[in-house]
Amino acid sequence: MKFSLASKTILVIDDYAAMRRAIRDMLYTLEAVTVIEASNGVGAINAMMNNRFDVVLCDYNLGDGKNGQQVLEEARLRKLIGQHCVFVIISAEQSTSMVLGAMDGKPDEYLAKPFNAQQLAGRLQRHFERKSFLAGVETEVLRGNLPKAIKLCDALLASGDKKMQTHLIKLRAELAINSGDYETARNLYRDILANRELPWAKLGLGIVEFRQNHYEHAVAIFEQLLKAQPMMMEVYDWLSKAYEELHKLSDAQAILSQAVHLTPQSILRQKKLAVTAERNGHFDVAEKAYQATMHIGKYSIHKSCEDFAGLAKVYTKTNAADKALHTLAEMRKEFLNSPEAELRSATIETELQKNLGNEDLAKKAFDKMLELSNRLPGKIPKDVQLDMVKTCFLSNEKEKAKELLESLIKTHVDDEAFLDTVREMQKDIGEEDFSETLIQKTKQMLIATNNRGVALYKQGKFAEAMALFETAMASMPDNKTIILNMLKIILHDLKFGDFHEDKLLRAKELLKRAQQIGIDPHKLGILKLECIEISQQRLIAG
Amino acid sequence: MIMINSLKSPEVFPAILASTVHDIKNSLGVLLELIRQMAVRQQPGEAENFSQLEFEANRINHSLMQLLVVYKIGASKFGLDIDEYAALDLIYEAKAQQDVMSKLKHVQVQVAGDADLLCYCDFAHISNALGTILNNALRYTHSAISLSVDKTDDGFVRFCIEDDGQGYPEHLLQADLRGFTNLDWVRGNAGLGLFFVSVVAGLHENGDKAGFVCIDNASRLGGARFCLFLP
Repeated sequence: MKFSLASKTILVIDDYAAMRRAIRDMLYTLEAVTVIEASNGVGAINAMMNNRFDVVLCDYNLGDGKNGQQVLEEARLRKLIGQHCVFVIISAEQSTSMVLGAMDGKPDEYLAKPFNAQQLAGRLQRHFERKSFLAGVETEVLRGNLPKAIKLCDALLASGDKKMQTHLIKLRAELAINSGDYETARNLYRDILANRELPWAKLGLGIVEFRQNHYEHAVAIFEQLLKAQPMMMEVYDWLSKAYEELHKLSDAQAILSQAVHLTPQSILRQKKLAVTAERNGHFDVAEKAYQATMHIGKYSIHKSCEDFAGLAKVYTKTNAADKALHTLAEMRKEFLNSPEAELRSATIETELQKNLGNEDLAKKAFDKMLELSNRLPGKIPKDVQLDMVKTCFLSNEKEKAKELLESLIKTHVDDEAFLDTVREMQKDIGEEDFSETLIQKTKQMLIATNNRGVALYKQGKFAEAMALFETAMASMPDNKTIILNMLKIILHDLKFGDFHEDKLLRAKELLKRAQQIGIDPHKLGILKLECIEISQQRLIAG
Repeated sequence: MIMINSLKSPEVFPAILASTVHDIKNSLGVLLELIRQMAVRQQPGEAENFSQLEFEANRINHSLMQLLVVYKIGASKFGLDIDEYAALDLIYEAKAQQDVMSKLKHVQVQVAGDADLLCYCDFAHISNALGTILNNALRYTHSAISLSVDKTDDGFVRFCIEDDGQGYPEHLLQADLRGFTNLDWVRGNAGLGLFFVSVVAGLHENGDKAGFVCIDNASRLGGARFCLFLP
């Protein structure tokens, strides 16, 4: 069958009119009918809001404004393109995939300039075939029905398509990781590696070790892989994460610095470097990385007032008050009418004015901070809350500090990385004992509640166990351990005890809540599977 | 305005190089598409000029990519992106890249190989390497070129490009394409192309085996034969 684009809706994005025309003419020779053009990122996003494209051909370099990668990120995050859409980034570089790295999401294809109609046709055809081959699996992944996705994937594997075999195994291993089935993933990667030293399989093996909390093993694998593949950017990201888990923050910073040097355009990597360097007290590195983050972020969907605040905090720590105030003013200008930006600004300004000895201005900023925080109940990011605690201490408002800190610790008592930043902040202002006592007390309370709840359940007192957890949840609304335990008990009870529609509903609610508060998807994988299985059995039984 | 002094700082060079390459490639892209469009409406007797234009534009592109590879190796920014591909997909990509030129020259390009044969390589680098050789073959062949791929007994995947032209000249046949002990043969477009293609092939390794290329005049069509082996 001859390749034809007649039925496809296509978007061409390039700032250079002659290039757009050349690509459009190429598409016409491939029988394309519906071709829409955009000359910049904003135009592209608008076009994607109004049309459902099958193919997007986007130049990486779009002059002023968003670049091609930023268009892709925004389109994906805002779900402006469907899974069937083939997104191609066109660039001058052969090895763009490496230069851009994967931290911000890869397109379906990188196409190097110059190219002709036949090359374009060949690439598009391969992607159309692959997408339709995998459509069933991808749809189930999107729906969150992992068991069905796995079943479909296994069926495709059994069909014996040699050309798709390795690709399917890769997908199957990722599905296994996402559903917490690490042994299957490990075996699949090992089988691939026994035949051929493929970098992605090695990376996968490292990720399995990481997910199973074997950080030393993961580090060894990632380091070995980097020696052979110094341009494989994902490895830097995983290696730095593993170092962080091992509390080797200066190693994490060194790896992030290397990665940023190789891919200066990656906003998320710059941001990670900024945060890590700040924690290590390397303020010069942090300053540069924050500035780069803000610069790249100008047209990015990842643009955030958190980065402006981060830079202002670095300046506060280095006693560069003018620069800090200037950065805060920039932030308020860039994020007009954003209560979060206002709150961040007031919080940092309190500390700044204190440092400068301007007690009146500090008091004014502090009052503004409290007033703004009352307007944002339950929506204040944890790092801002922590900064607020600090300013309360500095302003000698210990009661307020204690109140804020208590709720922060209750909610995040099982997030060791965050507790570390709490400890660091407290150490900074010489109040270590204060939070440590709270942390230990909260931990003990949590353990006691858990033990009591589980014991009650084991004695067959399901209702009492649930009531206990519901009470605990009321005092620690976003605590991950409690939600996970409640989920486990309800699901167990649904499976082996009496079935009640209400219980299933509550389980689904809790799953949703668990996702909202950011429990790692791989931890939720198995529970989600169980929930779906129970629903399905119910359908069959009913 | 560019501060001339800043050109002395080594950090500026990569950025300038990248922008320059980007600019030339934009130009080449538009140029190639214009050549194709004009060729459709060509007058009798112009075919030779159009195929020369197409050949030269492709040559500029390949030289540019080779230059970039050298720069990247020098700046420790070079890396291969190895994955598994259907061997025929690489051949089809090279054929597509040279599609306009082969039509202009009325050369029959045949493809042969097992659809299930897989190979491990950096897709962009290997398909470009094959495209470079094919571009040259299209210039020297009379009427036909054969592209084929198979697996050798010692486990290499072998890509062959055979033509029905005059064959390789003696000085290239004498060249050492694996050891590079003597680089006298690396001149002119054909020599340069061969040099880079053998460098790229050699960067592909598997265990103790590395990729390589060899050339002879044993083409089944009676002209030159080029073979690239991937481990």
